[in-house]
Amino acid sequence: MLRAIKSLPFPSKPLPFSSQLALVAGLVALFVALPLAYIFLRALSANPEDWLRLLQTRLWRLMGNTLALAGAVTSGTLIIGVSMAWLTERTDLPGRRAWRWMLALPLAIPPYIGAILHLALLRPRGGVIPKFLEGLFGFPVPTPSPLGFWGAAFILTIFMFPYVYLLSGAAFRSQHAMLEEAARSLGRTAWQTFWQVTLPALRPGLLAGALLVTLDVLAEYGTVALLRYETFSSAIFAQLYGRYDRSAASILSGVLVSLALLVLWSEIKLQGQARFTQIEGNWRPVPLILLGRWKLPALVTVLLVIAISLLIPLLVLLAWTIQAVLDPQTLSQIFRAGPQGLAQSAWNSLWTSALAALFAVTLSLPVARLSVRYPSPYTHFLARLCQVGYAIPGVVIALSLILIINRLVPILSATPHLVVIAYVLRNMPQAVRASESAIGRLSASLEEASRTLGRTPLQTLFEITLPLILPGLLAGGALVFLTSLKELPATLLLRPAGFDTLAVRVWVWASDGYYIQAAPAALILLLVSAIPLSFLLHRTAMFQ
Amino acid sequence: MKTLEVQNLTKRFSSTTQPAVNQISFALEEGEILALVGPSGCGKTTTLRLIAGLERPDCGSILINGRLVASESRFIPPEKRGIGLVFQDHALFPHLTVFGNVAFGLRSRRNESRHKSAPNAVKAAVLDMLRLVGIDFLASRYPHALSGGERQRVALARALAPRPSLVLLDEPFSSLDADMRLTMREEVRKILKSMQATVVFVTHDQEEALFMGDRLAVFQRGQIEQIGTPDEVFHTPATRFVAKFMGDSDFLRGKISSNGIQTEIGLLLQPVSLPNSTLVEIAVRADDIDFEPDESGNAVIAARFFRGALNLYRLQLDSGQILHALKMHTYLVPVGTRVRARISAGHPLAVFEKSA
Repeated sequence: MLRAIKSLPFPSKPLPFSSQLALVAGLVALFVALPLAYIFLRALSANPEDWLRLLQTRLWRLMGNTLALAGAVTSGTLIIGVSMAWLTERTDLPGRRAWRWMLALPLAIPPYIGAILHLALLRPRGGVIPKFLEGLFGFPVPTPSPLGFWGAAFILTIFMFPYVYLLSGAAFRSQHAMLEEAARSLGRTAWQTFWQVTLPALRPGLLAGALLVTLDVLAEYGTVALLRYETFSSAIFAQLYGRYDRSAASILSGVLVSLALLVLWSEIKLQGQARFTQIEGNWRPVPLILLGRWKLPALVTVLLVIAISLLIPLLVLLAWTIQAVLDPQTLSQIFRAGPQGLAQSAWNSLWTSALAALFAVTLSLPVARLSVRYPSPYTHFLARLCQVGYAIPGVVIALSLILIINRLVPILSATPHLVVIAYVLRNMPQAVRASESAIGRLSASLEEASRTLGRTPLQTLFEITLPLILPGLLAGGALVFLTSLKELPATLLLRPAGFDTLAVRVWVWASDGYYIQAAPAALILLLVSAIPLSFLLHRTAMFQ
Repeated sequence: MKTLEVQNLTKRFSSTTQPAVNQISFALEEGEILALVGPSGCGKTTTLRLIAGLERPDCGSILINGRLVASESRFIPPEKRGIGLVFQDHALFPHLTVFGNVAFGLRSRRNESRHKSAPNAVKAAVLDMLRLVGIDFLASRYPHALSGGERQRVALARALAPRPSLVLLDEPFSSLDADMRLTMREEVRKILKSMQATVVFVTHDQEEALFMGDRLAVFQRGQIEQIGTPDEVFHTPATRFVAKFMGDSDFLRGKISSNGIQTEIGLLLQPVSLPNSTLVEIAVRADDIDFEPDESGNAVIAARFFRGALNLYRLQLDSGQILHALKMHTYLVPVGTRVRARISAGHPLAVFEKSA
């Protein structure tokens, strides 16, 4: 076996370099990087007085708020994510298969819907629970408030931990039993082995997951706005929506994106190292740890997490939806025909997200192919450039597009196309990563075989490459579709008047306090999101 | 006209390292099998990929059937070269059946004129090919449901089906088990010969090269050290490297004298065109050395390796020099025995001037 590997001189050696491919990929990267470059330009060329004013007043507080929230949520998701992954992958916890699904499904719930639910249930005056308790005891009973830092941190943690859960679960699963056996044979106890071997081997996966969470927190708008905790994202949104101060918005955006780029840069550094968790030849699973008398507490913990992050939100939404449907007045309000109707919003959500998925995957192909098949500093740089979408929060994309489009192609401004472009830009990284991994798994010799059997490069693309990487591309598309469905701030800022998506519908009802009216749209959003999500989960080893 | 002509071919992958293929030239007659053999990283696979059109040469030219397919100014892409390539990993298309894989090359534009009006002709040609390699009963299987040997046969059938003027095989047996390898190579050679195919075959296994090739080209560091028939390469290696690589030679030090070569284990009576007192090395294989126990001998048995029908003895001469000798499996001498070693070859041995 070793001999066979050694005698393979260059495993994915390229066919002669294609300059057209390089050109197309370069254009795609340029398209993705343009909004970012523009924001920096605007931020740097902003009025120095505006800079001074922001530096003296709000910038440091916003920085502190944003970093505190990102830090708290990242630590929280790490603790919950890793412990849930360990319990469902490494122990004899009863019902592991079912729990695995239920722990991953909260990814279909946008955190702002979680925030809406908590507000409706727990808000200090008028929340369902405080009212009920007051009615029961005859005096106000103190309940935890969802507002402010701790509320935001809690809600973001319980809806974002599945990122860490999935990545660490996959890492736990792919880990070789021999690693731990070797550690035990070298005189380590089970506990020492966990800390000295198991966890360090998971580190790249864990950090990658944590950094994704951090980027998501930086970009989050809906939750923090609802819970009245000011971060960069919500401050920029307010500047754009209320005051229309584009100069200040540009400055804040420039700072936020710098912050995000720093995080993204470390995440990309770690991506390369995440490899050493891969499964090798004679892999066999690590034997399960018997929980013994800890079984019950472990089960209760898992159930508690599932209840808070999935079951309660789902049940509440369901109850409200039924309530809304049973009340004729609400019913007619929700299901009225025309552009404000629920069916129209659902359709708008579907087509914009699907179109964004199609574009993102198509555009990602030349970049991914170039970087996988012709590895060089230049192609590597192009692929990394396409990752910057991760670092541009929805509000910033929106700001940048408003400014660029108004100047260059005013005909596009205030059209749904702009919304689609924003989705594509924001989700390009997922598409590029999915395409890269799909093409990377395809042996270059298959394409070469097709060439030697008389096919041109284009015929090879359609007869060999595309049919074989299609599942990988669909996964990339599903991911883009899923995140586009949930995207709130960019949609709110860029949509033409009267153009509602499900996310916008939920938001508009809920921010006016009509929680029950918002429930049907939220429930539909969840169910639609669950379809691509379960497709994605089915593809991973954890769920087979 | 030669089927394949390679002239001064050079390829380098980065400007800092030495070229992967360095100024090589050779030619192939129709129906000939040429084995490119050498240690890994010697440039033999790169040469094959240059001929296939999967790499672009930096210098030199390649002609297939007299047509210039690659030079500094001209590059014909692989799909227009009319070659068949069997890949090391077989590269079977996983989404096509065995039939679909073999038919793939017959359905290309290059062959369309030949088969356009007759899809039945494609079918017949595929089934003929599958019968030839002995797997016609597997036509509807997918590659993942095949054994290693079956995959090998599909890969060969796929490459041969369009009747290419030149067949290239890149270490085709390296993914097979040892015993499977022996049967497959015999069969593949028979099939290639029955089709009178012109073949370039790459391997790192010298025994395989000796078996498969009508001629051998021994590669080292991007250059051809020697090209010739298996007999020539084995019996009269042109360089010390060839002697070492083809058949595990030991190198016995010697000095030219007026009537032969003076060595530690006696005088070798062999005329050599080198001046007297030149220091030389003689390439000796285990079958060129004999010994018998002798208290006043010149060597000690250092180790014995049981090789089935034969015993391989490792002898340490008094100078420390190591030689090997083959004996029948019944001839047993314990390790440590003092013996007298001598050259027993019935043929001239390869002699190289000792480099300083």
